[in-house]
Amino acid sequence: MSAILELNGLAKRFPVRDGLGRARGAVHAVDGVTLSVERGEVLAIVGESGCGKSTLGRLALRLLEPDDGAVQFMGEDLGALPPKALRRRRRDMQMIFQDPFASLDPRMTVGDAIAEPLRLHYVVPRGGERQRVGELLERVGLGGDAARRWPHEFSGGQRQRIAIARALVSNPKLVIGDEPVSALDVSVQAQVVNLLAGLIREFGLTFVLISHDLGVVRHIADRVAVMYLGRIIELGATAEVFGNPRHPYTRALLAAVPGNGAATTLLEGDPPSPIALPAGCRFHPRCAFGAEACRTTDTWLEDQAPPIDTLRPGHPGPHFAACLRAAELPPAPVLRARAAGGARLAALQAAFEIDTPSPQPTEVTA
Amino acid sequence: MTPVLDVARLGVAFATDRGPLRAVDDVSFALAPGRTMALVGESGCGKSATALAIMGLLPASARVSGNIRLLEGQAVRGRDVAMVFQEPMTSLNPAFTAGEQVAEVLRLHAGLDARAAMDRAIEWLARVRIPDAARRARQYPHQLSGGMRQRVMIALALACRPKLLIADEPTTALDVTVQAQILALLDELKRETGTAVLLITHDLGLVHDHADEVAVMYAGRIAEQAPVERLFARPEHPYTVGLLGAAPTIEGGRTRLASIAGTVPDLRAPPPGCRFAPRCPFRIAACAEPPPLFEMGDGHASACWRAPLDQMLAA
Repeated sequence: MSAILELNGLAKRFPVRDGLGRARGAVHAVDGVTLSVERGEVLAIVGESGCGKSTLGRLALRLLEPDDGAVQFMGEDLGALPPKALRRRRRDMQMIFQDPFASLDPRMTVGDAIAEPLRLHYVVPRGGERQRVGELLERVGLGGDAARRWPHEFSGGQRQRIAIARALVSNPKLVIGDEPVSALDVSVQAQVVNLLAGLIREFGLTFVLISHDLGVVRHIADRVAVMYLGRIIELGATAEVFGNPRHPYTRALLAAVPGNGAATTLLEGDPPSPIALPAGCRFHPRCAFGAEACRTTDTWLEDQAPPIDTLRPGHPGPHFAACLRAAELPPAPVLRARAAGGARLAALQAAFEIDTPSPQPTEVTA
Repeated sequence: MTPVLDVARLGVAFATDRGPLRAVDDVSFALAPGRTMALVGESGCGKSATALAIMGLLPASARVSGNIRLLEGQAVRGRDVAMVFQEPMTSLNPAFTAGEQVAEVLRLHAGLDARAAMDRAIEWLARVRIPDAARRARQYPHQLSGGMRQRVMIALALACRPKLLIADEPTTALDVTVQAQILALLDELKRETGTAVLLITHDLGLVHDHADEVAVMYAGRIAEQAPVERLFARPEHPYTVGLLGAAPTIEGGRTRLASIAGTVPDLRAPPPGCRFAPRCPFRIAACAEPPPLFEMGDGHASACWRAPLDQMLAA
């Protein structure tokens, strides 16, 4: 596998000003992130609000300029590209945003909104636009006549399908989704998650999923990067990170997800301020496993924590944790399955798998 | 035991430009002292309108029908019944400190003088684990984090030891680790004070971990009602079945989620008969008539003509 996107020591600080507009420190939103995204993989970036995951996504597409570090996209340094070349490159990198009510222009028909990237990048000749837009609308489950309608005529789930069609119309090599399903109700969210998973497979997309929803991540990601206060603190194959988390923060995060019985160890307090970061390991003030060394040694994913597990067949990479004590931690608690419904529930749910707008009723002889 | 809350045939309708919208339609349930009941469902299912009707907080334009009995009709809202809302920033007063707001409740409902009320308010802030409570009591809402504001809301709600607490999506605006702290705190205080809780949420995980009983709502009606273990083990309404399959869990693998086709109906023109029928894979001709809540035994009821659903598996 080869990397399509490489982030090298990325950092972004937002200045904080006092009442008189004088600079007073900075929010360290992203603080030294090195990460590579392989062609064709689904990489999830997870973390709580303020951890820097959205800023990282914007830096990766150069929607924000980094203060430090560089972004390599398809072998080119994005930061060094002149504006015209950068604009051309944008055809290959697209983004899906969280709020489908804010991300579509209310004065553009759905068809025009989806065709806009085609025109900007001369992807198909003008005459082929309508057909291409129609194909994509069909593929995201909306039907070709949606092209003549306006965004306000659609529900949240349908608008997110439109946003997905718009992101995919220029055949991008990389798509970044920033909480693409977080604003949706659970039954509609499941439709869009299934649609995204299907499109990723069908188009062989490289997809970076930025999300705080660990359930959604578990369902679509190949690899997971866990962020805390501007840094990646754990990285590995999804099954590994969820089944055998090696950073105390990842464990606390998983334990806090409701549905597996009341959590045993709760994380106390709020995350420290990203303006005044704690010395040493950023997690040590809240860590149950902290040692003396954690107060003074700044842990980095790259140099201080060796891979926990080396490459194993079937796993797309090694498992890293930025924790001095990663190797000494007790075994992670096993996640207990919530669904007690078993085979009966699974059999009943099978009837819901038909993914058409109006499913045929199942004929059953009682 | 006499229930703390007894809701009978509750209906809530709003007038809209395009005709009346029945947000809640014929909803009945009862809540016993010290128990937690969850109303669960997606946006627009009527769970919040039910809560607001109980608190008497609906706008004057809403038409409420049916019967709500709180504590045998003896309740004082604010003292005996309290509510925690989703967004603490909009429900706290930005012009008063955290301590003043908790103290105000104690002055009004517990008859304490200003000094005693403030002392008690600081005690409550400490009890909801706000570190350095005496200092935080002098701070304004904008100086507190989201988790801390929600703790202040809980202190405010519980300060008079209400018999019933209505929590409307109390942790939806919070991060998952903070959510876990707040809910553990609520559970602990509930055990201590014997307060009954009506938990309104869209999150089945929260229901599983924190409720004793559940009512699943869909399009303004109760679709299914059961003790919590029973609902997760043997759901008897197709909507519950779909919802359980649609919610992604962290222990699941990379499987396809069971998705419920279509969207929730427009409540200005709901489908006649069963409101879930247009999205239901098990629908039959009988579903054109609205189903009553069928008793299934052990406090389990399902509003589905085809319940028990086991007959679906025989085929």
